[in-house]
Amino acid sequence: MTAIALPEGAEEIPFVGYNQYIGPLYHLPEQEGFQRFCFRALDRHMNSVGAVHGGMLMSLADIAMSRAARAGTDAQNSSTVSLSCDFVSPGKLGEVVEARVRVTRRARTTVFLSADIVSDGRVLLVASGIWKIA
Amino acid sequence: MIPPGYRQTKLSDPFEISLGPIYEAGERPNRAFALLIDERHVNRRKVMHGGMMMTYADATLGALAADLSQDVVSVTLNMQSQFLAPAPLGKLIEVMPELTRRTRSMLFIRGDFTVEGEIVMTASSVWKVLGQN
Repeated sequence: MTAIALPEGAEEIPFVGYNQYIGPLYHLPEQEGFQRFCFRALDRHMNSVGAVHGGMLMSLADIAMSRAARAGTDAQNSSTVSLSCDFVSPGKLGEVVEARVRVTRRARTTVFLSADIVSDGRVLLVASGIWKIA
Repeated sequence: MIPPGYRQTKLSDPFEISLGPIYEAGERPNRAFALLIDERHVNRRKVMHGGMMMTYADATLGALAADLSQDVVSVTLNMQSQFLAPAPLGKLIEVMPELTRRTRSMLFIRGDFTVEGEIVMTASSVWKVLGQN
């Protein structure tokens, strides 16, 4: 199988701990006001029925939204307060799975965000959440 | 080291196997689960990563969904997670998933995730039992 190419401008994010263990994860150039992140679905990201594991999709949402919450601020840390995820369709092995994040509202220490996780033109997951930044 | 009172859970999803082991106690469908938080599960602040907490929630709430549907495959439709307190490296995070309501094709399952008796996360989820209209 020929691997599907990563989108143009993909840069691997240096990580430690969980993010490194489940990675590699990539940052993509901002597009149409969306902050973008992606990973390639490998065997170890899958569930037993051949779809990308829901936990991996929620992890991408968490990582992407957390970084988007901090972007453009002096905040060093961001903590997830709440996150709601709808699982719209399954992710497939080998595909590049991309998170497209938008900030709904930025208050002083609270940020409201939403994200679509997409792959090959399909929406896999829709997320909305609240982060605290400091 | 297996926590006292627990045994290892049989996992089948490669993603969960790569992050396990997960431990369990009790009999189906009344199993409690535990995970020992190690270096693979934490962020740079050395507390359990939100993504890992949701993966653990998906695995354990999904285990109850499987128990209740005689192992017919069920898929997650929605999961809502609230993060109340950090879960530090080296601690055991425990949950006893609860069925809130069951219809013919849907399961509503929630869980309070605790470290040393303190709730660190709550999750509620909706599951679709495949093949049931």
